[in-house]
Amino acid sequence: MASSLPSVWLETAPEALRPAGKSWYGSRMQRGERARPFGDELLAHADALYHFARNLTRADDAARELVQDTFVRALGAQGSFVAGSNLKAWLFRILHNAFVDRHRRTSKSPLELRDDTLDGAPEDAGDVWLRGDIELERLRRLVADDIRAALAELSLEARTVILLDVEGFTETEIARVMDSAIGTVKSRLIRARAKLRVLLGDYAR
Amino acid sequence: MTDCERARELIPNALRGRWSGADKSFFDEHLKTCAKCRSLLEREQALDQGLRAARFSAPEELKQKLASQLNQEQTTTHKGPVLARRTAFAAAGLLSAALVVGLLTVHALSPDERLVGEAINDHLRVLYAEHPLEVESGGIHQVKPWFTSRLDFAPAFAFSGDDEFALQGGAVSYFIDRKAAVFVFKYRLHTITLFVFRAENLPWSARGNTPIGELRGEAATERGFHTLLWRDADLGYALVSDAEAPTLARLAAKIASKN
Repeated sequence: MASSLPSVWLETAPEALRPAGKSWYGSRMQRGERARPFGDELLAHADALYHFARNLTRADDAARELVQDTFVRALGAQGSFVAGSNLKAWLFRILHNAFVDRHRRTSKSPLELRDDTLDGAPEDAGDVWLRGDIELERLRRLVADDIRAALAELSLEARTVILLDVEGFTETEIARVMDSAIGTVKSRLIRARAKLRVLLGDYAR
Repeated sequence: MTDCERARELIPNALRGRWSGADKSFFDEHLKTCAKCRSLLEREQALDQGLRAARFSAPEELKQKLASQLNQEQTTTHKGPVLARRTAFAAAGLLSAALVVGLLTVHALSPDERLVGEAINDHLRVLYAEHPLEVESGGIHQVKPWFTSRLDFAPAFAFSGDDEFALQGGAVSYFIDRKAAVFVFKYRLHTITLFVFRAENLPWSARGNTPIGELRGEAATERGFHTLLWRDADLGYALVSDAEAPTLARLAAKIASKN
């Protein structure tokens, strides 16, 4: 039997990732306050969850449904949430699982959770266009739509690892959300970002 | 490994401000003298800024729906009978699809009812899925090994189906927040779904109302579906179907049997 999920969440709840200035769910639970604080904490992550869902699904309607489904699942499972662990990471894992589950049930094509091309891609692939200050300035001038479009072109795995990293999750937390090996997260993140830079090079020209 | 290679491996740490040991002092010193690595760091920082600028915000309409959903939870959790709570949830009108409305009722209910609601919703996903089975059955000895690389536990039972309950196949799904092995049985014209999942940290009933061999399970009926949930050691089991409750109890006894 594998180690239980809650203990992992406990191990991977760095103080820095806890919402600043907010009471933590665990302490509220100990005070007997439960439903409202938990709901408040969920709502505090609505933007981040929608952003993640929108990039996973690449569609507004599907993202809304996915976030709602995530809330329902989180509320139903709040008894399994370990006080003191990282609520945001827990929610992202639920959302990712719900996305995989939905895709598996509704799509004719298999969901490619693993991007094998990330294994062999050079980590400095972005260098082909980003050399010197001129290219750096090009990158800085890219607009949000360009970056969203380039993200959408990436494989699901590359997109996911980039988004989770920018959210501030640790490698351990990213591995947990994606259900992948911790040891490969960093290298795959570096290669995914390199791929993104190559795509952005096309948009910057 | 050259200093530049080591420094580039540390760029993700620099972006997130996560350092261990002497990495930070090495990185800072190296960048003082290496324009190339300095440029690479600036490039990654610019990419980070771009990614943050490209964030989507949740639409206000969605936030209002979520808030409404949570308020409903707050007002219905502590008041009123179960039926009233379910009615209130239906009235919330958050999602039109019947399946999702079913999902929404789960969190307002008692712990046991949450498990029952989740089991029924997962059963509905199986029924409505275009490809419910990821492995077709040639018997349990074909289905169970298929789960080996897909789950972090082994579904522990020996029942391989029989003339009464024919094993159709299996799939991997999720039960609340965890992976579940899904087994689909046919009983006459009924589909019976069995979910096997890690049992810890779920709100199990202290004592079930239905004997299953030496164990006890909790039988319930909701939305026309019968469920039977039980736990055996560190695994949880949920049977769901529109077949009658005694039928589920009979199948559960076969599944729970160690032989």
